[in-house]
Amino acid sequence: MNALVLSAILGVVMMFSGILLKRPAAIRSVAIIGLLLLLASNMLDMSGTRFFSINLGDFLHFDRFAFLFNSVAIFCVLVYVLLTGKAIERVGVKNYADYFALFFFVLCGIFLVTSFQSLLILFLGIEIITIPLYILTGSDKRNLKSNEASLKYFLMGAFSTGLMLMGIALIYGAQGTFAIEKFNLLKIPGSPLMIAGMLLMLFSMAFKVSAAPLHFWTPDVYDGAPTVFTSFMATVVKAAVFIGFIRLFENAFGLLQPTWQLWVALMAAATLFVGNITAVFQQSVKRMLAYSSIAQAGFMMLAIFALNGDAKEGLLLYGAAYSLATIGIFSVLSRMDDYSYESFNGLAARQPLVAATLTIFLLSLAGIPLTAGFLAKFYMIKAVVATGSNLWLVVFALLMAAVSVYYYFRVIQAMYFREAGEHSASFQEPGKGFKWVLVLVAALIIALGLFPSLLLNWLYF
Amino acid sequence: MIHLLQANISTSAPSSYLPIGLQIAFAAGLVALLMVLTHLLGPRRKTSDKLQNFTSGIESHGDARQPMAIKYFLTAILFVLFDVEVIFFYPYAVNFKELGWAGFGAVLMFVGFFLCGFIYIIKKGALKWED
Repeated sequence: MNALVLSAILGVVMMFSGILLKRPAAIRSVAIIGLLLLLASNMLDMSGTRFFSINLGDFLHFDRFAFLFNSVAIFCVLVYVLLTGKAIERVGVKNYADYFALFFFVLCGIFLVTSFQSLLILFLGIEIITIPLYILTGSDKRNLKSNEASLKYFLMGAFSTGLMLMGIALIYGAQGTFAIEKFNLLKIPGSPLMIAGMLLMLFSMAFKVSAAPLHFWTPDVYDGAPTVFTSFMATVVKAAVFIGFIRLFENAFGLLQPTWQLWVALMAAATLFVGNITAVFQQSVKRMLAYSSIAQAGFMMLAIFALNGDAKEGLLLYGAAYSLATIGIFSVLSRMDDYSYESFNGLAARQPLVAATLTIFLLSLAGIPLTAGFLAKFYMIKAVVATGSNLWLVVFALLMAAVSVYYYFRVIQAMYFREAGEHSASFQEPGKGFKWVLVLVAALIIALGLFPSLLLNWLYF
Repeated sequence: MIHLLQANISTSAPSSYLPIGLQIAFAAGLVALLMVLTHLLGPRRKTSDKLQNFTSGIESHGDARQPMAIKYFLTAILFVLFDVEVIFFYPYAVNFKELGWAGFGAVLMFVGFFLCGFIYIIKKGALKWED
């Protein structure tokens, strides 16, 4: 609760800091201090120090899982601001502080989604997350592609929100309550109203995490949005919606698992297939990363399918590993003026440190051992095996992970084994701070790959 | 047993949706009936004046579908935003005494956030008409 209240207040503070402070660096410092405060307050909350006494009723319930993910989300946003904060200036200096205000409001929505106990709060949280994203997508106002992406995202997003509301209405009709812990699924297991409502919720959540066959908006939106904001949308937000997804399906529809398990399995398989196979054929690294985010969503869908202890631990690790690595890659990408594979030619010779860390991020996304990405994928596979059914899904997921190695390694190959030619893009000379943070993130990814308990122990102690 | 215009919550039999069905049938039927009736019974004397759009008695000229300055839109949307927030004062006014100081504190907080937004749009120059 500390972090929820504080993030809303910090959002307002950021809004006014843009009026009071003129220098972008000062605004950035305020945001970084705010995020550190937020992280500290959330950690305090996790260890039992609560600043506010509020009767939450049936609306919210903060458990360790939610607290831990919230900490991960705040940390990822902190890393994001440290790495890409300066590049946001290229989108617009005039409204610079407002972008940070929107990040804080999105965090506020994330805290609601990870700890909801009532479908109304889930809806509210999802809306608080997506509305700032519509604005961020269209923030490059002079760019036609950004406008197109924003309009597409808004129309499709509004449609999927409609689906979610319809689902919530049908579930209310079947259960007579919005509080998910009061759902009585034993009395009427197959009530048509309940099943229809659950399917509508499944589709709308699948839309928000861009799972096939509801992924069509993703490449256009991620490609059209300014690169710095794609980085934010594709990482922290996606992982947070997944936490809401698993919370909804575990606490509200857990007893109906036999009804929806096969559907989720098919969706996960379709997402893996579409994401990985289409990513192979992309010519632009930015668009490849959009499809790779679909592919990674397919892996995270496996957690929803399995829905056991391993799945929840794995989803947490997956969210952290995927977010950190993708934020790192996008931070490098946002310093280039061209996003084709050729523009990475010979980067290793010019920027050895940046190229080395980028390689670690890409290896982690591909799931090579000794990186956090490998263990995250391992936990997902382990969770599916533990369910004892649908083993074809395991084989398929491994096959698709092998396919993903191809397009991640294309970037590494361009950096190390190609000569810098006329195509290689100019790379903005990074500062010392940028390099330090990049090394820190890479070290963290390797540390998590060796000792996942660094993160997961917090769930229990 | 048929519950006419009164839903029986205890059973979820199809017949308990009868009142909703009746209401939909009535709503659609009334509209259709009135349209057909006016069409059949009313005399039709069309003149060019009658076929024109009626806009407060002012003669209309030109097409309504023209691009217009975005400022109008911004002002209108801000008006709607702040106007709707005022509506929340009505339920508070009704329950003013019952809610006591706690309610007063909550409304004060609401007004505080509201004023923050107001100061923000003024400082951002959203209400500046001439640039």
